[in-house]
Amino acid sequence: MSDSVAPAKTEQKRAINRLKSMYPLRNLVAQDYINTLQASNEGKPTVWAMLNYWEGDLPLKAMGLNIVYPENYSTLMASSGTAEPFLDASDSDGFPTHMCGYGRSTIGYSFRMMKQNDGKIPPEAPMGGMAKPTLLLGSGIICDARFKWFQALSRYFDAPEWCLEMPMMGTFEGTEPDLEEYQVKFLVRELRDFIAFLEKLLGKKMDWAKLEELIEVGIKIHETCWQIHELRKVSPCPMHSTDFWSSMPPALFFAGDMYEALKCYQDMLTEVQERVKNKVAAINYPEKYRIVFAELPPWHSLKFFDNLAEMGWNFVYESYGYHNPRPPDLSKVSDPVEKLARLSRNFVFNVHPYAKADGIENPIVETYLRIAKGWKADGLFLHPLISCRAASAGLRSVQDQLQKRLDVPTLWVEGDIIDKRVFNPQETLARAEAFEQTMEHYRKVRKSRGLDW
Amino acid sequence: MDIIASKLFFTGIDIGSTMSKAAVVDAEGVMLGYVIGPTGAEHRRRANMVMEDVLAKCGVSLDEIAYIISTGYGRVNVPFADKQVTELTCHARGVAALFPDVRTAIDIGGQDAKVLKIKNGKLVDFLTNDKCAAGTGRFLEVAAETLGLELNEMGRISLQSDTPVKINSLCTIFAQQEIIASLSEGKPLPDILAGVYIAIATRVVKLARQLKVEPPVVFTGGVAKNGGMVKAIEAVLGMPVSVPPEPLITGCLGAAILARDEAFKLINRGEYKLQKKQLSEAYIEFTEKTR
Repeated sequence: MSDSVAPAKTEQKRAINRLKSMYPLRNLVAQDYINTLQASNEGKPTVWAMLNYWEGDLPLKAMGLNIVYPENYSTLMASSGTAEPFLDASDSDGFPTHMCGYGRSTIGYSFRMMKQNDGKIPPEAPMGGMAKPTLLLGSGIICDARFKWFQALSRYFDAPEWCLEMPMMGTFEGTEPDLEEYQVKFLVRELRDFIAFLEKLLGKKMDWAKLEELIEVGIKIHETCWQIHELRKVSPCPMHSTDFWSSMPPALFFAGDMYEALKCYQDMLTEVQERVKNKVAAINYPEKYRIVFAELPPWHSLKFFDNLAEMGWNFVYESYGYHNPRPPDLSKVSDPVEKLARLSRNFVFNVHPYAKADGIENPIVETYLRIAKGWKADGLFLHPLISCRAASAGLRSVQDQLQKRLDVPTLWVEGDIIDKRVFNPQETLARAEAFEQTMEHYRKVRKSRGLDW
Repeated sequence: MDIIASKLFFTGIDIGSTMSKAAVVDAEGVMLGYVIGPTGAEHRRRANMVMEDVLAKCGVSLDEIAYIISTGYGRVNVPFADKQVTELTCHARGVAALFPDVRTAIDIGGQDAKVLKIKNGKLVDFLTNDKCAAGTGRFLEVAAETLGLELNEMGRISLQSDTPVKINSLCTIFAQQEIIASLSEGKPLPDILAGVYIAIATRVVKLARQLKVEPPVVFTGGVAKNGGMVKAIEAVLGMPVSVPPEPLITGCLGAAILARDEAFKLINRGEYKLQKKQLSEAYIEFTEKTR
């Protein structure tokens, strides 16, 4: 039956021209959920890990552990339209409604599993659910809500939680030359303690050769991703933000089989290169406006971007917090732990030197100025979240500085990553229509200033 | 152009959250007339009604209307419209038609508040209120219900105040509780009303300041009919604002003017579709004149 229906579907003109190479990357993540459920059924240890900018992912993988990422799972709940009952469950257990959507949905999931379903996966859970964790790996990076959230989860499961720390983002003090080496030493110490904890918990030794190998694969993944996104600077842009969001977990979390992921990203690079060569756009409409999205997307309403694509809006870059920077040259670093420490630290401080040189106090502002210039943005779609201070607080400065320095206007749309009840697509579309006039105006202003887009 | 001006007309219809408005302009962009009525639940019926009413008022038949643009929340429910345009664009155009030098427009409607930056008659930036009724006409309605007043008498009463009550809450419902508390404390009604206006003005001006307010400022929307609100906006903003004689119709007026622009663009490109008899004659005269 599906065979007879499929051709009719493919004949329909889709607004966003999805990359074929995106789908295998998405499938790799789906496989992680299946593998973890299987491992749990076999009595093997499983991990729930938080986005930790790679410092924890690779030691876990080198120890042969199956990992799932609650933040990623929340996005699946939201995009499959199954998040609301879990959000309500979190609310009913006393957690505040203005808390992080990732936290609320997975706290609700854990509450449903442990308090209402005898430790079994709730039947309404998408993708077969997340297996009960043996260990929770938290991270101090980004915000306080994150590590408190994992503390709460660990109480539901009576499972140990380890929290990895990272130097504070957003501060310039961290870039002082003598502090850099201090930070690396701190991270190395954090990682050695974590590895010792894992060895004790699992009763086996770290496979150092495997760790070294995975770090090298990870660096290659990041280098490939960086090359892919550099190609999006051309017009028409060959890759849409929705393809980035769908394919990012194997680079952001190192989710899935890393060797397979590297091959998939290399295929993606080839496909994007082909599109550039043949001037194939990421949308099936003429590229009228090049838009950058900041910061976390409305996972529940990604189809909304099709409406914008129909208007000729091509989303050419997005979500700096989900992108890896170009990996630094670590070929002279022999200790794998130090190499990992330097790779992770690079995410935190890679943009600070440029911000300092440009006289900009907030590195996030510098990041978006560089993106707007490099990717020739006609406008920024800002998505501040009432439930996320970390991803929203700097957006006003981004808005101000982009307008002042580059005459790039912004569309301000409040929403939430998981809770679709606070997003109004119709109103947003009406504003988007009007925003086109604003973008047209500032195109002329930039031209009069001698800017090249 | 004289012959054409007498025969080509253009309509803008604004189906707002509370009120529906329609205006007709001629080929010179001069407004022949307008109508205003409550929107209610049936947008399509309301669209037909305002169209019939405005045509009757202006003495023009439907066949003489060359182009129709609909705008507002219910713009998709105007089946006879040639094009739908967002209310932000239409408001900017309408305000600029009435006040050509305008740089900032503040519009407070039944359910939303918007701030528009306008340059040379065009919308260059804007902000709207988000997910909250506190800076809108709905806030005033709640206050009127709580105080047992008619909306149109509130402004006059508030102007008698010299010490407005401070309404602290940003939430319409909690502000309602504050109003009740002020009443039970025996605070004078004019002071309570003036406090309500200042609360709304503070919220809207905060929104406006994000766009950096530049004079001249024009205040539109149903709430601009209220003298107390105009006074509060001027006080909080710290500069005078102009209010059109009928502040509700800037959206439909802008839509009508955009309809005129759009039709002339199509006519000049030879793409205008001839569907109406009287219009055909005017069209032929127009094309012959401009050939």
